[in-house]
Amino acid sequence: MGQEEDLELYRSRLLESLNGRSSRYLRDASDPIQVYVNERRVGELEGTGIGAMLRVQCVDHIDTVQLRTEEGTLLGGLVAPEHGFRTDRLRLSFDAIELCVHNTAQGGMLSALFIPAPGFWSRAWKSIAETVDRLVPHRLDAALAYGMRSVAFTQALLAVAVVGLVADRVTTWTWMTPEPTPSPVVQTASLPASPPVETARLGQQLDEVARIQAKIGEALASQQNGIVQLHQAVAKLSSTQESVVSSVVMVKEEVKEELEKRLEAVGREADRTTRHVASKGRVEQEQLEAAIHSLTADNDRLSKEVAGLEENNQALKTKLQAANASKAVDPNPDRLLARQTDASRQPLQLADSLPGSQQQPFLFWVTFSEGTSQESIDQWVNGMKGHKGAVNEGWQEVRIVPPPVPPDRFLEQIRGEKIVKAARISQ
Amino acid sequence: MSVTRMQNTVGKSQTMSDRTATASRLEEVVSTPDEFDQVVLQALPMLLDRATGSTKRFLRETGQWNDDIEHEKFALRWGSEYLERFLVCGRTEVPCRPLFLFDSLVAKQHSKPEPFCYHPDLLRPLGRFLDGLAARAVISRDALIALYHHVYGWGPGEVIAVTGLNGLESQRIYKNFRRWRDAGWQRTMDEMGLTKAELAELGSQQQRHRQRFNSEAEQLIRVAQAHYRKSEPNHYPCLSRSQWGEMFTQGYGCDYRIWHLALCLDCMQTAWGLGSNGSAIGEKPRLELQVRP
Repeated sequence: MGQEEDLELYRSRLLESLNGRSSRYLRDASDPIQVYVNERRVGELEGTGIGAMLRVQCVDHIDTVQLRTEEGTLLGGLVAPEHGFRTDRLRLSFDAIELCVHNTAQGGMLSALFIPAPGFWSRAWKSIAETVDRLVPHRLDAALAYGMRSVAFTQALLAVAVVGLVADRVTTWTWMTPEPTPSPVVQTASLPASPPVETARLGQQLDEVARIQAKIGEALASQQNGIVQLHQAVAKLSSTQESVVSSVVMVKEEVKEELEKRLEAVGREADRTTRHVASKGRVEQEQLEAAIHSLTADNDRLSKEVAGLEENNQALKTKLQAANASKAVDPNPDRLLARQTDASRQPLQLADSLPGSQQQPFLFWVTFSEGTSQESIDQWVNGMKGHKGAVNEGWQEVRIVPPPVPPDRFLEQIRGEKIVKAARISQ
Repeated sequence: MSVTRMQNTVGKSQTMSDRTATASRLEEVVSTPDEFDQVVLQALPMLLDRATGSTKRFLRETGQWNDDIEHEKFALRWGSEYLERFLVCGRTEVPCRPLFLFDSLVAKQHSKPEPFCYHPDLLRPLGRFLDGLAARAVISRDALIALYHHVYGWGPGEVIAVTGLNGLESQRIYKNFRRWRDAGWQRTMDEMGLTKAELAELGSQQQRHRQRFNSEAEQLIRVAQAHYRKSEPNHYPCLSRSQWGEMFTQGYGCDYRIWHLALCLDCMQTAWGLGSNGSAIGEKPRLELQVRP
């Protein structure tokens, strides 16, 4: 087979398949119907005789809706507008599916409602109504059809009743007369010969029927008028609805604009306030920074001073410890005493905060007569409950508890001692 | 001879005038769905050629066209797809001018990103077979379930076990298999333009070079699945084994399992064994392409 023929065969097969679409509409009633939105499967509708419903909310607009069988056969669908509603009713043999798509700026929404086939009596009533509808001589507007069908059906019932009544009368007359049943021609001919009371009664009934018919005509006319008015009202309502929708849209726009303006104004105000607060904050921050800077400088200075003091303190402690240590090991009591005196002098210098109850020692300098032994000197110092200090150019420093007499007199007393050569207060 | 030529000329001019009349009728406004059906059904060949021509032009403009029968068939197939959608959806657009509506529908399709799955290897018989299966699986549940059979060689029972379905869903699986065997497979092959000779050749290749055949099929089906998986609902992405495990254990996401696992070789490997309550059910599945249903 040539390629051209192969291609032509394929084309004709596709065309056949497209042509035969309607014959494949039959589906298994128990199978669900697959629902596709924008060619994506979104769910299924149960098709088992109950009114099933499927609602789908999409972020995007709904462009197309398709209904397919499980085999993939396309049963129906619709194309939706970018904004607004689109509804469609799809017939599947006796069942139907109502599709409603609503697209807005926020996305689309689909609702699909499966309407199962009506029951036997419902179908019978419908077929009667359709038959009567066909008997109506002129087709009216689709909206009037239901009313017309009802009226026509009533008329038909009335006609049947009249015929029944006539037949009943004829039967009664026949039954009352003992003669055999006459031929129809004879019967027709014999009607005028019937009793005048019955004829009048029949005429009265016919008049009544005619009157009822006239009433029905009037009712029909008034119904037509009502329907026309209803149409007008619906048209007015839809135009009102449109205007309401447009005004809602306008109001939305206005509200949006107003909101934007307000937001802008609020934004500007907030911006100004923020700038003011920010500048104030900056000034305060600068002040704070300066204060912190000066505090830091003071702190540094204090730290240095504390460090210096601590250093001194440490040095003194070290000296004191050294002194204590030498006290423990040094056998020379003079040096020890000197060190003790030296060491005790330092804390005295520092001890500014000592209580005033501790008296200051009385300090004086002496020279001893030549040949005075160290032992005699020490005994003399101990006798005064004093302590020896440093020796400078032959002058011995001595500390004692302040004497009860004035210093000059005390010095005179000292100078009177045998071993003392000279005494003085200042160095 | 001159009479015959005259007859041909008359026949051609008649066809031309019919075509012109059909085209002009399509350009006129139709007011009711019935009128729409009537006008469009008379013009099906013309509309099919028009959609095919548009698809060819699109393929040429996007550098995907070659003058061969494979590309011609591809264009025809998509022309037919567009026409089918037009037949169903167009009748809801009345009053309209059918020809303009059809052109706009085709243009809308071609303005989408990747309107169809195009790959040169998918135009050869094996590629067309796989492309047809995956494309059909998107619109038909029967074809979707049949994918398990065509890709792994499983029957209904194995599909139910692997996907961890319950009783009610299981019945549907058997039904899907039956319908696919009865008519679905043949219709798909027809729509893909696969002839009996081509199908026989595929079967023969499978017999002679099984491993190579399956390996080639795996490469191609990955291309097709990656494209058609986009048709799944947005909330059906690939999952980790623990996520699949949770879904299987708690028994939700029945549709998720059926749709995604059929269209994703990797996730089938990931979720392998979860459907049978975690008990080992043999080696992980490998692609074993089945040509026949």
